Amino acid sequence: MRIKFKIAALAAATALSLSGCAASASSSDNGKPLKVIAFTSGNQTPVGAWWVKAVTSKAKDLGWDLTMIQGDFDFQKMNPAVESAIGRGADVILDGYTDIASIGSIVSAAKDANIPIFAMDSSTKETDGFAVNITTNQQQIADATVGALAKTLGDLKGKTVMVIGHDPHPGIRMRADLAKKALIAAGATIAGDDIQKVKSPASGRTEALALVADYLSAHPNGLDGVWVGWDDAALGASKALSEAHSNAKVTGVDATSEAIAQIKAGGNFLATIEQPWPKILDKLVQNVSAYQKDRTLPKTKFEADDTTLVDSSNAANITPSDKLG
Amino acid sequence: MIMTTTAQATKTAPTTTPARSIARLLLHGGTVFALLALIVFFFAMRPDVFLTFVNVKNILFQVSILAIIAGAQTVVMVVGDFDLSVGATSSLAGAVAASLMLTGVPIAIAITVALGVGLLVGLVNGILIAVVNLSAFVATLATMTSVVGLAYLVTAGTTLFDLPDGFNNLGQGRLLNIPLPVYFAIVISFILWGALRFTTIGRRWHAIGGNVEVSRLSGVNVRRARLLAFTIAGLVSAIGGILLAARLGSASAVQGGDNMMFSVAAVFLGMTVIKSGASNLGGTMIGVAIIGVMSNGLNILGVNAYVQQVVTGLIIIAAVTLSSLKTRQR
Repeated sequence: MRIKFKIAALAAATALSLSGCAASASSSDNGKPLKVIAFTSGNQTPVGAWWVKAVTSKAKDLGWDLTMIQGDFDFQKMNPAVESAIGRGADVILDGYTDIASIGSIVSAAKDANIPIFAMDSSTKETDGFAVNITTNQQQIADATVGALAKTLGDLKGKTVMVIGHDPHPGIRMRADLAKKALIAAGATIAGDDIQKVKSPASGRTEALALVADYLSAHPNGLDGVWVGWDDAALGASKALSEAHSNAKVTGVDATSEAIAQIKAGGNFLATIEQPWPKILDKLVQNVSAYQKDRTLPKTKFEADDTTLVDSSNAANITPSDKLG
Repeated sequence: MIMTTTAQATKTAPTTTPARSIARLLLHGGTVFALLALIVFFFAMRPDVFLTFVNVKNILFQVSILAIIAGAQTVVMVVGDFDLSVGATSSLAGAVAASLMLTGVPIAIAITVALGVGLLVGLVNGILIAVVNLSAFVATLATMTSVVGLAYLVTAGTTLFDLPDGFNNLGQGRLLNIPLPVYFAIVISFILWGALRFTTIGRRWHAIGGNVEVSRLSGVNVRRARLLAFTIAGLVSAIGGILLAARLGSASAVQGGDNMMFSVAAVFLGMTVIKSGASNLGGTMIGVAIIGVMSNGLNILGVNAYVQQVVTGLIIIAAVTLSSLKTRQR
């Protein structure tokens, strides 16, 4: 009798939860707006701030019921806020620039609630945690920037290049490793024999400045190039080179307005990389619309889009990443 | 009279063995020895580089802004408090100056307003701590949070650049081939040292740091003195932030945020220099020098940045341990 009661209770609970899932999945089919949770930890960065504005604007245009959660790089604050929103129900979750390693609890909560996460620049490889993650092609970024150095320096063989990275950022870590490999393959010597690590993005510019200045103190005219994983630190490296009257060239990634201005000025800053975030967001929104229409999930879980090398030839035509919106 | 004193001193003086003398010497001069040891070590490792004019200039340039902000921290730590908002205040001041200049405000006015902002933040800290009686930790943590938010608002989350050359020259210009921030750091340090050592308020700050109750009973207006200490710390931090913006030619909301931690570390390192174990400006400058020499030397030797951070922490632990041993001995 007790066993029968338990089975009946279990069946009732299962039926209730399944009907809940079905109701959640079909809420937008019944004329109700698509319920979307969007979150980013990087809202204090220029690109993150643009993403918040752009997603809010698209939600308005498409009639989504949007809950936007801005994390300020504080996962202890952001993750429970997103999980709480998931508990209140949603059709879709959007993740902007927040690495999967930092949102394990959100991914679990979304899986339990059967809500797909559509992500942008949130991992460097395919993961089951996301219905899709669209990011930029790190190999192409490394190849393009190392190629720019090779083109300007003539031949990388015998040249000394410093590589500056920042391990906690998966994208920077990956492209710095790829750049180091590409430079070694081209015959260059890596200054200090390894990637120089910046500890904090907040002090990236001053840390990179000190790294390059100290290296040049120890090895006057000892650098032919500096490869840096992001523009802010690249600007510090560029300043150290100009103060030391070095002709070495610097490459960065991000296409910030300050980097573009320096490229146009024709000093040590040689090139940077424009990442097509507006196009990637459009693609992500198309994926969400397809899901809204007939619950179709993207065929591939990971996409890496090509980027554009920004140098003196095209710097004038590029919209800086901090002026996107 | 003199004979009597000498006789008493001879009578009460404890017997000192050579080992004990060396231990005492290390205890009293540990930080100075540490600085000398670091210099000797790095010079031995790279004799062709470390003590060259170019590298010494490089070290001075790198620590000049930290020296100014550590000077601000020293003032409040002399009073027995500390200020977690010095780094944020410096960032905000740099951001305010930059944003005003980018809207066409003349350099002098932009700098004056930025200094005023720093002064105001310091004043708010002083009111919260000296008048409202909040703990310095809570009050300056709260103002740090708000000030970082304000800096984000001022910069709109971006990096402000394209600042006037006249302004950038303050941070990048040279006199006799020495960068200008080095001179600013020296001048500000001397002013703070003089204020702490020779002025009435400086003596009152030391008295409050020694014993608040005794100071109060001696007629010192403790409230006003603490308020002034925090206000000056805000102003001096702003000078550091403005110079950092000029040195980098740009300003962002988080620029120089690590100066707060290093300024506290420098003051702690410096507290071991004098016999009393109290905060003092000369000691702070030795602390700043240790941080600068260590960072530069380890970079030159190609030591991993993460290892550098561990070593820095260990040296601070050693300094604080020395400082507490001294206090116990007292």
